[in-house]
Amino acid sequence: MLSHQRMPAMTQLSYLSTVLAFLMTCASLTGRAEEVDYIRDVKPIFAKHCAKCHNAAKQESGLRLDLGGGAIRGGDGGPVVVAKDVANSRLLKIVRGEDEDVERMPTEGDPLNSKEIATIEAWIAAGAKVPEDEMNLDITSDHWAFQTPTRATLPSVDKAETVRNAIDYFVLARLQTEGVGPSEEAVRPTLIRRLSLDLLGIPPTREQVDAFVNDARPDAYEQLVDQWLASPEYGERWGRHWLDLARYADSNGFTRDFGRQIWKYRDWVIAAVNAGMPFDQFTIEQFAGDMMPDSTLDQRIATGFHRNTLINEEGGTDQEQFRVDSVADRVETTGVAYLGLTLVCARCHEHKYDPISQREYYQIFAFLNNCDEPQMDAPWAWQVEQGIVARRDDIRGQIKEREEALAAQAEEFTKKQVEWEATIKPEFYRTLPGPTQAALGKKVEERDDAEKKLIVELYKTTEAAREAFPLVKEIADLKAIEPAIPTTMVLSEKKEPRETRIHKRGNFLNEGDRVIAQVPSVLHSLAAEADEATRLDFARWLVDAENALTPRVIVNRYWQRFFGRGIVETENDFGTQGSLPTHPKLLDWLAVEFVESGWNVKAIHRLIVTSATYRQASRHRSELAAIDPTNKLLARQSRVRLDAEIIRDSTLAASGLLTRKLGGPSVNPPQPEGIYLFTQDPKPWDTEQGEDRYRRGMYTYFWRSSPYPSLVVFDAPKSNVTCTRRARSNTPLQALTLANDIQFIEAARTLARDVLDRDDSSDASRVELMFRHCVARRPKESERLRLQELLAAQRKAYADDPDAAAALIGAEKPGAKDAELAAWTATARVLMNLDEFITRE
Amino acid sequence: MTNDLVNQTRRHFFNDCRVGLGAMALGSMMSGEGLLSAESLDNATNPLAAKAPHYEPRAKNVIFLFMAGGPSQLELFDPKPKLQELEGELIPESYIENQRFAFLKKDAKLLGTRRKFAQHGKSGHTVSECLPHLASIADDVAIIRSMSTDVFNHGPAKFFMNTGFNRFGRPSMGAWVTYGIGSESNDLPGFVVLQSGPRGPRGGSPNWGSGFLPTTYQGVPFRGKGSPILNLDNPAGINGSRQGDFIQAVNDFNRLRLADTNDPEIATRIAAYEMAYRMQSSAPELMDLSDETQETVDLYGADPAKPSFANNCLLARRLVQRGTRFVQLYHTDWDHHGNPDTELKGTLDKVCKEIDQPAAALVKDLKRLGMLDDTLVIWGGEFGRTPQGEPRDFLGRDHHIEAFTMWLAGGGVKGGAAIGKTDDLGYYPVENRVHVHDLQATVLHLLGLDHLKLTYRFQGRDFRLTDIAGEVVHKLLA
Repeated sequence: MLSHQRMPAMTQLSYLSTVLAFLMTCASLTGRAEEVDYIRDVKPIFAKHCAKCHNAAKQESGLRLDLGGGAIRGGDGGPVVVAKDVANSRLLKIVRGEDEDVERMPTEGDPLNSKEIATIEAWIAAGAKVPEDEMNLDITSDHWAFQTPTRATLPSVDKAETVRNAIDYFVLARLQTEGVGPSEEAVRPTLIRRLSLDLLGIPPTREQVDAFVNDARPDAYEQLVDQWLASPEYGERWGRHWLDLARYADSNGFTRDFGRQIWKYRDWVIAAVNAGMPFDQFTIEQFAGDMMPDSTLDQRIATGFHRNTLINEEGGTDQEQFRVDSVADRVETTGVAYLGLTLVCARCHEHKYDPISQREYYQIFAFLNNCDEPQMDAPWAWQVEQGIVARRDDIRGQIKEREEALAAQAEEFTKKQVEWEATIKPEFYRTLPGPTQAALGKKVEERDDAEKKLIVELYKTTEAAREAFPLVKEIADLKAIEPAIPTTMVLSEKKEPRETRIHKRGNFLNEGDRVIAQVPSVLHSLAAEADEATRLDFARWLVDAENALTPRVIVNRYWQRFFGRGIVETENDFGTQGSLPTHPKLLDWLAVEFVESGWNVKAIHRLIVTSATYRQASRHRSELAAIDPTNKLLARQSRVRLDAEIIRDSTLAASGLLTRKLGGPSVNPPQPEGIYLFTQDPKPWDTEQGEDRYRRGMYTYFWRSSPYPSLVVFDAPKSNVTCTRRARSNTPLQALTLANDIQFIEAARTLARDVLDRDDSSDASRVELMFRHCVARRPKESERLRLQELLAAQRKAYADDPDAAAALIGAEKPGAKDAELAAWTATARVLMNLDEFITRE
Repeated sequence: MTNDLVNQTRRHFFNDCRVGLGAMALGSMMSGEGLLSAESLDNATNPLAAKAPHYEPRAKNVIFLFMAGGPSQLELFDPKPKLQELEGELIPESYIENQRFAFLKKDAKLLGTRRKFAQHGKSGHTVSECLPHLASIADDVAIIRSMSTDVFNHGPAKFFMNTGFNRFGRPSMGAWVTYGIGSESNDLPGFVVLQSGPRGPRGGSPNWGSGFLPTTYQGVPFRGKGSPILNLDNPAGINGSRQGDFIQAVNDFNRLRLADTNDPEIATRIAAYEMAYRMQSSAPELMDLSDETQETVDLYGADPAKPSFANNCLLARRLVQRGTRFVQLYHTDWDHHGNPDTELKGTLDKVCKEIDQPAAALVKDLKRLGMLDDTLVIWGGEFGRTPQGEPRDFLGRDHHIEAFTMWLAGGGVKGGAAIGKTDDLGYYPVENRVHVHDLQATVLHLLGLDHLKLTYRFQGRDFRLTDIAGEVVHKLLA
């Protein structure tokens, strides 16, 4: 329930005048009260003077006067009409210009005339009666997405023999109406490659393909599905999809773009997906893990979800502005990722298309506006067990003692520090971050606390400070041996609530009415535990079984990942401006199934990938080109270019280089030189030499201002805002990357070496082996011959040019077999550049 | 994808591949005409193909000289005797009510300029002694002294100037333009970014990003030294001939897959590989300034051996000559707050010297080559600087968003025009205020694009460069 502000206490004087007015009114109206009718007499007055600002969309001060019920309910400041109590009905004072806090209403246009005021007064005096149909203030909409989904009965179809599960009934029924048949099932090598790329994000091994092709069991495919749903790579693949929504990155963004530690959150997502955590729990822990009863370390780590917002560390920024922006980003992300609503449209004005008011936007904002944003210790379990955390705490204690001792010499310290500041050279100054420069520009006594600290800490790093104060050196030495314990960014609820106000036109400096956390009235209602609803209530509300939007939005996005487009194509907009579902009953059936399964993600994935619809061939059929060019009917599967990370992972997997290690800090695989020429500061990038050189793409350190180039070139999201669907561009820069980037050359080289080691029978046999490594299927005769021809030409060319051969294979000195390996490397390079190699067919 | 094309590729593969691919085919590709040349691909497969604008354009290309950090209009373009007179006094309260500043406190004192100004050319443009070369092209240049923007921190303000919005994630002007009208070049990117100065511009790649538009439209940063594009060079051990074998083989297989699957994306990929191959020779050719006369190199004050703003101006001209649609040059170090190496004396002199001659040379060079009519040159930063000085050790000013100066030349702009005036202190525009969105609307207008119609649907809304505002500045048009 909304809790209302108390009425401000009236001064004696105003009380007296009110009583006086009341007495006079009673006298003048006696005997006429029954004659006032709300609809005939009062409503037109409200409509003329009040409802322009006090309507459903634009509830100034939380008050509605477009419906009689609004007058009875009152606004943010409490009731405005008290039946039969003219003296306590504030509305009258306000329209007379006698209220203490509010100027005379309306502020624009003519004031109410005395006759109009008398009519309202008479209506109140008579009991402020309002017809029943004016009392319901709920905002309703008949838009499809706001109606609770129901499970439709399965439609009947003619060719039921091709049906594998419920999904197929809906798809076939639609095809039947259009007079189109489904495609045949994809051949097994294509099928296993598709499944592997979709569930695990890596191509199948040749052995896996062979085993599946030769598996005569009727449920061979289902066995594979179950095996892979249980394999750790599944968590990486589907975790990464979630990280797109979470706008996960390893740096703060904006111009300085310093690094951040939040990979523990990334690992939490992978683990939760692998564990099959029900989606409702998955959501609640991420939104409000810190507020759950006896919250665990993992639950608090999960709140990193909404800490993936940007942080601006540029000098001279107004921190409140960027904090407000980050809360707005949380609202926007929640709207798009869960509700499929463009809530952001209501930040500055009423939503133009959907029934969401600006007030309601800030009511949602209020749920997320009450957090502190700390960096929390998140030790590994073994660090706790081995007493490393305890040792760290002990060292910190010793540091604290010394810092206190140092503080006792504060005067002397500041004196020396000021002497040192006078010696700072421009070259050094230039290397400092903006805030530090700004602080140095001021005298010590002019600095605020944060600035003072900044410069003190800077001074402590200098030789001058260490010489003058031995304690400084001792502290530094202790810090050097302090064990590193991972930290991560989390939410933590403030004890003293932060007040949320409407920002007029979205400008945080232009504050309007105060609002209280509440959900939009067009959606299902929220059950709060206490008087004031909290972030935890909001999280539960998002995944309430009553929610018409969340389950639809979530299953639709799963569908999009498996078919290249959603049943609702505008996966981020289920509002009135979004596209309609191509298969509405299927969408609702899946949404109901999802909720009734206990939000079981793996079960829904299994259902989708075991359908005949999913298992169809993806070849474009010429007879469909005219009637269904974009494959809305699902008469075939789609060919989908692989995601950026998966292209790299596929290359590493096909060559055998891929390191199978889950989680941990992000890594620095090789990248071309000169990436940081265009960023404000160069980023640390210590190229990995060991196994971390070949980790999956999702573990690559992601600097927002200068992301890893081969990821960006293949449309990895830039992680500044939530991403619900990746673009799939097709550019010359992609060709240059795959053709020339060192990491892809390394992979081609390794694949060549591997094939030469495995098979020594014939070129034909080796070529076939290599082909199958890359695209799973066997080459056609013509393809095999073309590869052999390429191989022969390369062999000849490299035999004539031993230096080039040695260079291509990365040999330190030329050797007898260089030309052979170089020729095979050139061949592998072609295969790893094929459209088919980077496409899920 | 036409059936003819499919048949042709199928025929080609089966007829030619078995007997070894003809040297003829490769030869034709090496000379820049692929079997499936960019010209033969329609717009569906080449998203950067030139497209007709909404109406007859005045300009075809844009070169945007972005002076990152916020040049001081009060030292360069907008002299204020009153400011001189009141130097050291507090600014009247009425000016700074409700104003926020990055670093400045409300008690900052007014600061007069130390620079001398004079009028130049028939137009009588007022320009300070800091920019003598600009003074020499005064009549080709339109100066706007009443620019204003919304945000006062560097990163957000740069995003605002480039994308019309103060946060990451919207498409930049160059992306919108190439999305709208494509590019005339088949072997170089349509939108190229060049950079000079001590460091990269704040905000980085989102300043030339494609936002929610396909990445095809994002700016491609060319580096001033070595290989201009990442991964442009062949890997070690692959020479031009091996790379030719490689491209040919990849595309042969792709053509076969195209025939098997009928997926038009494969045709786009084939074209992309051929364009990539052409870029491998065209981009180094572009960067090689040795075919420019010494006279031209001297005009810019360039030294081909050393990356500089001067080199970049010359490269910008070469890019536009080769059909690139939008070139953006960033030159950093204009943030003159009054610290030892960011002040309004020596540091300002240095950065003016770095940019003045090359920027003027670019306009002169374009003009003598007959390219200025088609090419819009824009000069300016993300905001200007305050009439108040900063209380630091050296002369400096804070970020100022209410009024600053930019100039434009060529491409349908009225040379010699002076747009807008500011008040006696140079604090607010008092005539013809030009907001960033107005400038953006005008740039699009000159290219034949209606800023209200150039939209892209994303997250349920039609987005445009000018967000929800923008009016064409007609006084600026020739």
